[in-house]
Amino acid sequence: MRQRLIQILGLTVTAAYALAIVWLYATEPRSFREVATGAQVAAGTYQVDQQKFESALSLFRRDQFRAARDEWQRADPAASDPRTQFYIAYSFYREGWGRIYYDQELFKQGLEAVNRAIALAPQPLSVADENLQLHTAAELKAELEQGIERNWGDVNPLKVMRQRK
Amino acid sequence: MTDELRATKEELTTAEPCELVAVERAVDNRARNEALVSYWVLPFLFLTVALLGGLRVGADDHAFIFFPPPLITLVLAVLLMLLFVRGGLIELRTWVAGHQPPLANLSHIWILLTLFFASAQALNSVLPERGLLHWLFSFFFLWTLWNNQFSSFEARRLLRSLVVLFGTAFVLKHLLLASLYAPDGGWFKRIAGALAQGVSLGTLDAPMFAPATGYISFFTLGLYIVGLVLLGAKTVDSRQ
Repeated sequence: MRQRLIQILGLTVTAAYALAIVWLYATEPRSFREVATGAQVAAGTYQVDQQKFESALSLFRRDQFRAARDEWQRADPAASDPRTQFYIAYSFYREGWGRIYYDQELFKQGLEAVNRAIALAPQPLSVADENLQLHTAAELKAELEQGIERNWGDVNPLKVMRQRK
Repeated sequence: MTDELRATKEELTTAEPCELVAVERAVDNRARNEALVSYWVLPFLFLTVALLGGLRVGADDHAFIFFPPPLITLVLAVLLMLLFVRGGLIELRTWVAGHQPPLANLSHIWILLTLFFASAQALNSVLPERGLLHWLFSFFFLWTLWNNQFSSFEARRLLRSLVVLFGTAFVLKHLLLASLYAPDGGWFKRIAGALAQGVSLGTLDAPMFAPATGYISFFTLGLYIVGLVLLGAKTVDSRQ
């Protein structure tokens, strides 16, 4: 009976170990910290560092977009929080926006971030922030996509009158 | 009945009850230890080899880099498994058989599976990651393992042969090649590395890793060999 127990326990525990190895190779963490963060995400106990998030938000409101993004990336190292990813995308949008032209590279990165936010959100993502004019991820995505597209409207001189959202 | 068994039987029939209890306890402990080795230690060892075999540490940022086993290592692992069966390191007929309890069959299949992936990853650990050297090393492994299929082997000789094979590949990759391409190497090494690159039109290009990668590979191969030695001992026990 005891041998049978050893057998069953051995099979179960080593199978769990094998699954953990497959998970490591699938997620490819780059450090022990990323392993720990990934494990928290997998276990459903992952939380964004609220203090860093707030500090990033205040940087964002002062138009310091790069610093804000750095702080948000530190607040959400696993890039698993839809709200933080939405704000990162928004910071790319605001930094890349220009009266004459849009920075294509920043807009592309913004599009990646907003797509990530949409994929992570269990339902259509909406952020209630009075300082933003685009409150949903879908609106932000449409704005970023329009910025990347090239058309005849780009040579319209009245374009300089448009407003940043 | 052999003389030894007859003598043991006579000893047991004339033994005191406390001696019988001691013998029973010893038999019980032995069975429990064997079960622990078979169902815990061996899968753990082989799975750890499977984990560490593809792990490298980046030279610049010391970040983990996971290399899944390339297809060629799976082919080489199949040849290794065949060699283990031919060399008697795995007793396939006694391990997986119709008269065995399903759980025992399942456990043995699990050990074989972990051994397969450990073999693939042990090979992955000593193969250069890309370029001409990757294919050269792979070809030499293939050649050696294919030739070994037609040699007569017993478990101990097979183990010795594998230690030499893996040891040579380890020295070539983690000592010789790593020092040839090391950015902090001396002028002679750098010139030799640049010449090798130039002559081979860049096909000898090898990615640079931190020295920790060599230590991980050494530890991995050590675990793999320990696992194979334990596997050999288990096979001898199951034969008896």
